[in-house]
Formats: sequence, structure tokens, C-alpha cells
Amino acid sequence: MKPGYIREAVLAAARRRTWLWAGVLLLLALGIVFAIVRLAGHDSLPSESVTTTPYAGSTGAITARSIGDGDDGQWTMAAKNYASTRFSSAREIDTRNVRRLHVAFTFSTGIVKGHEAAPLVIGGMMYIVTPFPNYVYALDLTQPGAPVKWTFKPKPLSAAQGVACCDVVNRGAAYADNRIFFNTLDNRTIALDATTGRMLWETKLGDINRGETMTMAPLVAGGKVLVGNAGGEMGVRGWFAALDAATGRIAWKAFATGPDRDVLIGPAYKPFYAMDRGRDLGVTSWPPDAWKMGGGAAWGWVSYDPQLRLVYYGTGNPGPWNPEQRPGDNKFATGVFARNIDDGQARWFYQSSPHDLFDHDGINEQILLDMPVKGRMRGVMARPERNGYFYIMDRATGEVLSAKAFGPVTAYKGVDLKTGRLAPNPAMEPKEGRVVRGICPSAPGMKDWNPAAFSPLTGLVYIPHNNLCMDWGSYEANYIAGTPYIGADVKYYAGPGGHRGVLTAWDPVHQRPVWRIKEDLPLWSGALTTGGGLLFYGTMDGWFKAVDQRSGKLLWRFKTGSGIIGQPISYRGPDGHQYIAILSGVGGWPGSIVSNALDARDPTAGNGWGSAVGDLPQKTTAGGMLYVFALPH
Amino acid sequence: MIASLVSLSACDREERESRGRPLAEAAAGGPLVSTLRAGEPPHPRPDPRAAEYENNAYAVSQGQKLFQAMNCSGCHAHGGGGMGPALMDDQWRYGGNMEQIVATLDQGRPNGMLSWRGRLTAQQMWQLAAYVRSLSAQQRQDVLPGRADEPSNTEPQTLRSREEMHSSSPAGVQGTAQ
Amino acid sequence: MSAWLNGIQSATSGAGLHDQQFNGLFLLFLGITGFFYLIVIVALIAAIILRRRRTGSEPLARAALFGWVGAVVVGLAVLSAASFLVDRRVDAATMGRPPLKIELVANQWWWDVRYHGASPSDEVHTANELHLPVGVPALVTLKSNDVIHSFWVPPLAGKQDLVPGRTNDILLLPRRTGLFRGQCAEFCGTQHARMALDVTVESLPDFRRWQRAQRAPAFAPRTALAQGGYAYVTQRECANCHNITGTPASGRFGPDLTHLASRRSIGAGTYPMTRGHLYAWVADPQGAKPGNNMPYIGFEAQDLHAVVAYLQSLK
Repeated sequence: MKPGYIREAVLAAARRRTWLWAGVLLLLALGIVFAIVRLAGHDSLPSESVTTTPYAGSTGAITARSIGDGDDGQWTMAAKNYASTRFSSAREIDTRNVRRLHVAFTFSTGIVKGHEAAPLVIGGMMYIVTPFPNYVYALDLTQPGAPVKWTFKPKPLSAAQGVACCDVVNRGAAYADNRIFFNTLDNRTIALDATTGRMLWETKLGDINRGETMTMAPLVAGGKVLVGNAGGEMGVRGWFAALDAATGRIAWKAFATGPDRDVLIGPAYKPFYAMDRGRDLGVTSWPPDAWKMGGGAAWGWVSYDPQLRLVYYGTGNPGPWNPEQRPGDNKFATGVFARNIDDGQARWFYQSSPHDLFDHDGINEQILLDMPVKGRMRGVMARPERNGYFYIMDRATGEVLSAKAFGPVTAYKGVDLKTGRLAPNPAMEPKEGRVVRGICPSAPGMKDWNPAAFSPLTGLVYIPHNNLCMDWGSYEANYIAGTPYIGADVKYYAGPGGHRGVLTAWDPVHQRPVWRIKEDLPLWSGALTTGGGLLFYGTMDGWFKAVDQRSGKLLWRFKTGSGIIGQPISYRGPDGHQYIAILSGVGGWPGSIVSNALDARDPTAGNGWGSAVGDLPQKTTAGGMLYVFALPH
Repeated sequence: MIASLVSLSACDREERESRGRPLAEAAAGGPLVSTLRAGEPPHPRPDPRAAEYENNAYAVSQGQKLFQAMNCSGCHAHGGGGMGPALMDDQWRYGGNMEQIVATLDQGRPNGMLSWRGRLTAQQMWQLAAYVRSLSAQQRQDVLPGRADEPSNTEPQTLRSREEMHSSSPAGVQGTAQ
Repeated sequence: MSAWLNGIQSATSGAGLHDQQFNGLFLLFLGITGFFYLIVIVALIAAIILRRRRTGSEPLARAALFGWVGAVVVGLAVLSAASFLVDRRVDAATMGRPPLKIELVANQWWWDVRYHGASPSDEVHTANELHLPVGVPALVTLKSNDVIHSFWVPPLAGKQDLVPGRTNDILLLPRRTGLFRGQCAEFCGTQHARMALDVTVESLPDFRRWQRAQRAPAFAPRTALAQGGYAYVTQRECANCHNITGTPASGRFGPDLTHLASRRSIGAGTYPMTRGHLYAWVADPQGAKPGNNMPYIGFEAQDLHAVVAYLQSLK
């Protein structure tokens, strides 16, 4: 116990009794001051009038340089390269001819759940992983109409659908050495022979009876397949593992909670900030036993720096959502890990949302860039976070170089760059037994899983994200293994401006938006940038759009059969021409209102989406379909 | 005299049964998944407890409490669904009368609904079934819960309009006798 | 029954901070206000008897008026001064000593109790009992999960309500060791009467020993019978609601059972903690406390024996 702190509490109690009236008056005065501050705070929210600001950075346009994107026209991993830039240098399709873009071929996956995966293209083949039941299709691009060459059906357990928090999605596969690696919903990582579709190995990594699933896209690097689990809403214990790409044997597995030996924290662990240092923080920052159901699932994106041999990934929300049930910082949930790829030992960790209050997972992509910070070139990672801040961090040390809100934030007051700590807004802190209103960003965050893209042509990061706020009511959640562990009743709605989605072109050097596109529905698709100066993304009502990277001007659009929540890719076909591909098929967390036929009369349906996207069933229907576009030739 | 008779008739709504009877014996003939028995009469011998629980305000409010405490709301929200299907609409994948809902709770269902046999008592399942039916306002208005114990972002069931019951087989169309 | 008589729920047993201080103040208030009450009554009676007889002289009336006003002023001044002094003394008694931080959450019809420590992992989680070290102030945070309850341990302090959606607190300073009984003091449903709180005030070393024991995970079952009970409790209905730290049972809906057998009573004071009563409670919780949330399971005999054997081992 800390006597100083406690003495102060006692003193406060004494004063309260003696100076009751003074206290009341003081409170009144404070209340007035607070109201004024809040009003002022609302006024200072980033205004939406920046929407049409033209790109002003033509002087010194390339202010940030991506690493590791030698481009051979293939698309071998969901994020295109280890640096996760999602930039294709192909420039056959450009801002002038894009309006002539037309459908080259389509392919129906036969599945009506949310299609979040990026197709892969290697040589003359395209590979698609579908949502549950996780079929893998290999399409032969050398033949007219790209017929199916082989199909692999992993037959995941049907019951796995019941523990997948946010639709039964899959975010894609990875390729290396003529092998396709992917995860199934029932926690298997499978390696297939890319030529024949024969299964080479499978490794079971988790248990659906504890609420675990796997939805993320693996990353293959240094002969290892990097995978993690999902299930933060089910009170799982998060982990991240490296499998030997040749055999499927587990090389190392690092948990997100528990004693240091489980988290793979050893002598090499050197976090930048004091708050992330200490022994067995994965136990001591939780109430007794709570770390065993503490979440921190690694269901998002993985990046890799071959020079530092460090692999970067984020950890998800702690369980349960209700923060009052887990006093403490709840390490190592809602943060980002840098680990040595060979032995998995943690190099550093940074907790972006200590004691997470609002389900603000830290699993978003880390785009590895070399860019000038205060006049000096630094090796950094750019992370547009779910909590609303765009972080630039030194990727060798974990130091936060800047963190600026890229949309309206009322939940927090900012990031202290000295301590690295996010400061929550006390007025928005959830309390059991009451409903706190007007929290921005909402639980799906300023930006959920759907990845941003970087373009070296402009030096900008293009972030498809949400503009949602929420009402939050906490209650005590009960833990029963394999059932949800949430403890909050939430309701989302459009934030300031009334639109639910935004695409922000963000200047990472100057930490400011350059232009924005407002979208009516939440943006749940990834982004793609190309050497032709184009930016591709899709909307949940099915429009696939190409805009000018410099101005955000809409240049071309095409209405697909279902809402788009997938990741667009660009590749060079066997004929030498550039193609753009996207999976259409609404679903995912907000889209489950369509794909799982939710009833929007309940505003809390789908953990809060009933009120936010109740109009979606009128705007789109379910159905998975691949669309591939090309110029006429 | 008439007034007292009228008030007596409302008593079953308020009755509090604290122990309940086990499921096994009473389930002779079984809580059937009638959707799997096309062509047969759905429930040749309806379970008398169905009407008892369904028309009892205490059972429905206990069911409401369990629906939250046993994390049903984590998947089905307040009837709108999420990971699990919506319960407030007129679609019942595995049948929507009391016996069928109890069977679903007891046995589990293949696409993710887990079996609560041995985890919930028969009485709790009946109470839950009564509450689940209240989500689509199947009961009398005076039985429906007006509000929940927890802070809720939803409107009370008493304001909902009754959903007709549709199901993949004719069996599910039949509600429990009032 | 004798326990009820030796002051475990008496408001005048002198075990709490308020007792010594506030009881004196109360008596002073009673005396002074009673004195004035008497004067008023006497004056009233006199006025009734002496009405219509206009014999009073002006100076006498004036003297009476000034005398009365003077007495009231002096009386009020004495009461104010006494209140102020008592308040100071209460502050002095609690000042400078680090209070224990306890969180009490009321449910229908039981108390969820958490002792906060230096780090979150030092937390002690128990139910329906409070252990307090003598002479150490304890700051108790009061919350409710359902309806309005009221915290009242008569020997230690006055009442304080637990209101859903709000956080109240109360400062306790136990002055002597002993066993006391608290009781929900706000009608909270049909089993309001069976919502008691066992309070143990003990020496600081005893309290530390208790805290250490409570912090430990549950004992592993030793006998074959208790192992059977462990299997039942962790896999069946019990684990839906109850937490036993160190086992897979992690429910949050019912009272924590990690060290159940070390408590004084079962079911928030419904039964004393004995083997026979444990049987009675587990076999039919609805018989003892109809309407509480613990369901009647209808155990097979061998399961009941096993479950009780296991629960008894949770010292």
C-alpha cells in the first residue's frame, strides 16, 4: 500500500464532512468549468471541412519511403510485402485510362458470409480462401475465364461458427516455396502444395471449446509461418506462434498474458517506456486468475523487418469489455510486440491502450517506412490505431515519435509522448450500472482491421476507416468457457457529420489529413495503391472505386453484386497486363446484419451494429464473388 | 365477488415456483425437434409445463436474468442476434414453441449453439425458453418484462409488436396453447 | 441464539468509531433538545391555565423573552460546538493511517467482497464476510448490481445505501476485536431478511494471516470423493456461476467459493457453516432461501456426497 496516496484519500473524506457546503459550491463551480471545457472540446473536434483540401505536398512529394517492396507483379501475401504497404508499382492502369476499366472475369465462391480475404497471385495462378468453411480455390489465369484448377476443402468443425465473434471471416493466405498457408476457423494452420492442392501438413493450434478461432492471414518469413488466434470477445488467452514452414512444427509460441516465460520475455526485452517494464506483468497487472481469460488475441496484421529480424504484431482487447472487472493495465493486451523471428523472444512492447476501456484492440497493420522525423531519417512503423491515433514509432526501440488523432476523439485526451501513455477522458469512462453516451471512437474503433495502404508516389497513407460514436453500458460479465465474455451493452451511430465511413489520406510526416472522402456506410474494405497514381477501395453497399491518390477525386466506380469488405490487389497477368482483383461479399462485424440476418430493431444486435447499419439490408445482399478488372486489350 | 374471481384468475401470472421438476421424466416422448419430423403432428402430447412457464411473469423475468448471466445475450444480443441468430424475428431455424426452444437449449445445435445439458437445470431452460419467446412478444402483455435489471440500450418488450411464427416446417408455426 | 444476545448486532456495543463519539453526541442532543422541549411544554400548559388573566407586567415578559432567546442561542452554540469537536475527533482518529480499501457489491441476496491490494493481482475475492483489522480505518466502496440495498453493521457504523449505477463509500474504524453481524437494511426483495454479512474484527497479524490464506488459490482435492466433487463442480452447473480460483470454475454470477469452508455461514447468513448445513444448502438451496438464484439441481446421492466433500475441503 502507498501511505501517501491513502492519506490523501482520508484527508479528502475528512474535508468532505467538515466543509460540506464549501464542497458543494466547489463541485458546482467545477461542474460549470467542466461543462465549458467540454463544449469547447466539442468545438475543437477536427472539422470535416478538410474534405476537399487539395494535395499541397507536391513539393518534396516523396517524404516517406517504404522498405522491401521490390515488385515482381505477383501478390504473395495479403499485405503485398513485409512492410505492409499494399502498393503495386504497376502503372498500366493510371488516372487517365482508369475510366475504361472493365470486368475481365468473375468467379462465385458459393458462400454467403463476409469475404475479407485478399486473393493471392503467383505465376499463372490465383488462390482464394473463403470464409467458413474455408475452401481454397486455385484458378488458372492462363486459361480463358480462369477455370478452377483445384479446390481444397478443410472441413472445419461446424461448431466453430458459434465462437467466431464477428462473422466467420478469413483474411487470406500466404505463399512461399510453392506452398499455400492458411488458417481454418477451427484453429488449424494448413500448408498446401500450390501446384496440386495436396495437403502437406496441418497443425492444430487452439480449441473452439475455449472460444478460440483463427481468422487472420498468416505471414511467412524466414522459413516460419506466423499465426495468431482470435477470440477476445470469448475470454480466450491470446497467443502468437511461429510454425516451421517445412514441417508445421511449432517453433515458438508466445502468449499475450501470464508469466514472462509464457510471454517469451527474457533478457532481450527492452521496452522504451517504464510502464511496460517489470517482472511477470502479464500476471501482476490483472486480478488473480483473470489473465487466464484475458484476451490479447493476435488476430490482425503481421509485419517483418528482415534487417532487424523483428516481427511486429498487435494484441487484441482484454477480456471482458467491461473494464471494471479487470483493474490494472492488463498486459499484454491492446499493444504491439516486436519479437525476434528466430526464437520469438520479445524485443519491445508498447501498450497503446493500457487498461483498455472500449474494446480498442491494437491489432491494426504496421506499415514499415523510412521517413524523416524532425529532420532525421528514421526507421519507423506507421500504425493507424483503433483508438483513433495515428502512431509513428521507431521500429527498433518502440519509441512513439508522434501520435495524432486522425478523426474525432472524445474518449481520450491524447498520448503523452514522455510516458507513452494514452490519457483517457474521465467523463467517458464506463461505469457499471450506467450508460455513458457520446464516446468517439466507438468499439470498432476509428479504424478496425481493414488495412490502410501507403503510396511512395505521394508519401501518404490512405486509411479506410469509421466515423462512429457510441453509447456504452457496462454490467458484470459472467465467464463460461466457450461463450461470450463481454459485459457491455453498446450502440453505435454516426459521428460528427452524419456519415459513418471516411477515407483519409494522411500525411505521416506532418501528421495531418490531406484530403478525406466521406462515405455513408462504415468503410470495412482494405485499400490498394498503384504506381498509376490510383487508390482502390470498396464500400459496404458494393461500389468498387478508384480515386486519384493526389486529390481523392473519384475517377471510376463499379457496382459489384454484394457489399465489399475485402482487400483489393493488383497483379500482372500471364499476358503481361495489369489486373485489379477484389472479393465482394458483405459480412464481417457490421455486415453480419446481412450475412447473419440480424434484426436491426434491436440496436445492440451484433454487439452494437443494429442501430448503426440498420439500413444495410436494404442496400445490399449477401453472396461471395471474385471480380477481376482490366483495361480493354 | 366477480372482482375477486377476476383477480384470482391472474394469479398464475404471479406464481413463483422455486424448484421446478427435472426434465428427464417429463420429457418422455421428448421435447421434439419437430422440424426433423416432417409430416408428423408436432407434439402429440404437449408438455403441460410449457404453458405454465410461458404465462408466468416470474418465470419470464428469471429467464431474462439467466439470458444475461449465462451469456446468451453475448451471441443473440437483446433478441437482434450477433454471433447467433436473431430471436425477436419470425424465423425459427429449429422451431419456436416452448418445447422446441427447450430442446435446442438442452441438445445444442450444429452451427454453434452449444448444449446446456448438465450446465443448466430443466427449470432454468424452461424459464429461458419463456423469455426467448417474450423477445418476439409471444406472451400476454401482462406477462412480458417491462425492463431489465441491467442498463439497457433497448426498448422494453412490452412495446414490441407480436411476431407471427414462421419456420422451415409447418410444425414450428404452431405456438404453445395459451 | 446466544450469539444474537451478546451484541454482535447491537448499535451500542461500542465496537466502532461512531459508537463512542456519536453516541455521546446523540445523548447531548437528546438532553438539550429534551430540556427545551420540557420548557416549551411547561410554558404551553402555563399559558393554557393562565389565559385571560392579564396580570403580566411588561418587564417580566421582556425578561422572559430575552431569557428564552438567550437560552436558545446558548443551546445551539453548545450543540454546534459539540458537533464540530466530534467531527474533528473522528478525523483525528482516522487521519494518517492508511485505510484498507474494500469494495462491497450487493446482489439479491448476497455480498460480493473484494480487498484491493498494491497491485491488481493481490486482490482478495470473497463473499458474505468482512475481515477487518482492529484500529485500522477501512474505506468501503459500496455498489449494487440490481436493486437498492443498504449496508449496516450496527456495532461498527451507521447505514449507507448501495444504489445501482452509483458508488457510495463508508469509512469504518473498528475499535475492538470480535464477531459482528451486518444486515441489509433496505428492503430488497423476498429474501431481504437472509442477506447478512459476517464481520470479524481481529488483530492486524491475524488479519494479515487471513489475507494471505485468502490470496492463495483453492486447495486441490485430496480424497477420491473430493476429486469426484471437484470434477462435478468444475464441469457442471456450479461452474456457470461460481469462481474457484486455481480451477477452471470461473463464473462471476454467484459468490466466490475459493475458500468457502473458511467462512462462518452459508447463503449470506442463512445457515451456519457445518457439514450438515452444507448438505442442506447444496441439496436444496430453494428450501432454505426460496427465490434465490441458486437453482435446485436434484443431485444424485453420490454426487451430493462428492460435492459437499469437495466444498468442505475449500478451507
